[in-house]
Amino acid sequence: METFVQELVNSLSVASVIILMGIGVTLIFGLTGIINFAHGEFLMIGGIGVWVLVSNGMGYVPALLISVAFVALLGFLLERGLFQFTLPHPNNGFMASLGLSIVLQHIVIRIWNSFQKSIPEPFPGAWQIGEIRFIKMRVVVVLITAVIVAVTILTISRSRYGLALRASLADRQTAALMGIPIGRYITAVFAYGSAIAGLGGALMIALFPITPFVGSEMIMLGFAVSLIAGLGNVAGVVGAGLILGLVQGLSGAYGTPEWTTAYTYGLLIVILIFRPQGLFGGTMGPAIE
Amino acid sequence: MAQWGRRLNKNPTSVAAVALQAKTRPPVGHAKGGVHPSRTFIIVTAVVVVAVLALPWMHPGYRLLSFAVTTCLTAIVLYGMAVPFGQAGIMSLGYAGLMGFGAYTAAILSRDLGMNMWQAMPFSALVAALFAGLFGLPSLRISGHHFAIVTWVMCELLRITLVNGGKFTGAATGLDLPPIGKAFGLDMDKLANAYLLVAAFMLLCMLATYLIANSRFGRTLRSIRENEQLARAIGVNTDLLKLTAFMASGVFAGIAGDLQAYNFRHISPDLYGGAVSMYFALMVMLGGPRTLFGPLTGALIVTFLPEVMRIDPIDSRIAYGVALIAVIMLLPGGIIAVTERGYRWLAEAVRGARKGVSSPGADSSTA
Repeated sequence: METFVQELVNSLSVASVIILMGIGVTLIFGLTGIINFAHGEFLMIGGIGVWVLVSNGMGYVPALLISVAFVALLGFLLERGLFQFTLPHPNNGFMASLGLSIVLQHIVIRIWNSFQKSIPEPFPGAWQIGEIRFIKMRVVVVLITAVIVAVTILTISRSRYGLALRASLADRQTAALMGIPIGRYITAVFAYGSAIAGLGGALMIALFPITPFVGSEMIMLGFAVSLIAGLGNVAGVVGAGLILGLVQGLSGAYGTPEWTTAYTYGLLIVILIFRPQGLFGGTMGPAIE
Repeated sequence: MAQWGRRLNKNPTSVAAVALQAKTRPPVGHAKGGVHPSRTFIIVTAVVVVAVLALPWMHPGYRLLSFAVTTCLTAIVLYGMAVPFGQAGIMSLGYAGLMGFGAYTAAILSRDLGMNMWQAMPFSALVAALFAGLFGLPSLRISGHHFAIVTWVMCELLRITLVNGGKFTGAATGLDLPPIGKAFGLDMDKLANAYLLVAAFMLLCMLATYLIANSRFGRTLRSIRENEQLARAIGVNTDLLKLTAFMASGVFAGIAGDLQAYNFRHISPDLYGGAVSMYFALMVMLGGPRTLFGPLTGALIVTFLPEVMRIDPIDSRIAYGVALIAVIMLLPGGIIAVTERGYRWLAEAVRGARKGVSSPGADSSTA
């Protein structure tokens, strides 16, 4: 029983990174209709950024902040420079993002290399409660994710910005006629989603070593949670992220770790075919085509 | 194939049928509105065929020739993809996986039943076609991004299964194959001869794609791309058509897999993952899925050119990604489609200028 609870606790931190990934995917898709394949590369760059700064002698926390800010800036520039032009044709945006993901990945490999990178544990040690060990860094990751999730959900459901956002999701034209600056909202959401992905990467590298290829693995998990939850449904992402995190953690602990990804993918296929709107109900994306 | 066409023609005067026919574009490589291929098109095709077949006599090095083999193998898969993607407009990201089914079928038949490349080829094609049908099944319910993601995921599932397949699939190290041996009196151990074999298959696949695109089947497929609901409303069985298109493209991928397995003599799961599928899809887009030379051009630009020019593989990937973004943003339809349009514009401009010389002021609106 102790090991079971221990595995539950451990898989929470994996679930956190997946949730951070999924929030960005679900927000960006919900608003722009772009399935951004390069979103995983934002996570990778966030992690690699922290690695670069920390290995040059910076502390973990400032490195994390700078790295996240950099990824947010990158997201902003890419939206302004590339994705705003594909808004009328989301399929072109999807294909361009495939190309972008290759470009970003190989630029990182070119400057550094394709080997695993890791940093020393920023908050070493663990708390012991009864039989269960809470590794400090993992607790930090879960807490930060909880804060981000709470802020995102509250902003969307309570603030006037969230109201405007939901209005533009429901009907872009009417919202624009009401004086909501849709273009700015799209840019802001894109940059925010990118920043959260960068944060996911910055937290991830404190947990495990990462390679420049981590983005392509994580983006599929990001798609998986946001599609399983139903696109545009942030609370659903949390639920789906917990499910996938547990599946990953528990199948790693009991029995068949080599099939872990296969379970996730199998679940994704079944849900996409039989419930394209997702488990918890979401949109199918903005009605453009 | 005739069945769908007949349904279309049953009531030729119906408004919907007229609208549908008007919407479909002229088939690949044909002069505007013409039924017979244009003269330029025939000349270009002849030049390409001769160039492809003459390569071994131009004294390429071993390295260049082996990249040419890889390019032709890739082009075969891309010509398969051009059927559902170019004609019906459905993008699938599962083609590396289908190639994998072909390759692993060939390898396992060779190991367990002692079959050679030719005996295994029909089985490779059949297995890949069946799985292409399976990969295509979700397209009946979902479309666009969702379908692309599902097929990508299916491809990854195959890779995971191959890695975990134990002795049967050779796990992560993969399987080895015997040499091709002799074919048509040629010794296939010589790379030049092996290249000719693969190149011949590539040209056959090119021809097959051309024939499919210009058949009744191909025209009906285009009706799905232009307006699926309308096509269904006038009685086109879109579900059956889509699956047939996927299975046809699976045959191409299966044959390519069989050829690849015997040319590489060693196959491993990494050759058939989702990332490779993605590259295939992007190559088709780069060249242009609806044109006859698009897939070949895509394969040439991505697999052949960087190696020949000895560009660092990482630099070439970056350049390739940038080129792809540029093509999508600036030249939708692919490089070849734009070249064709440019050529047509040039030809008309020249014709207009000539007319202008013979009878001044006769035609000033052509250019």
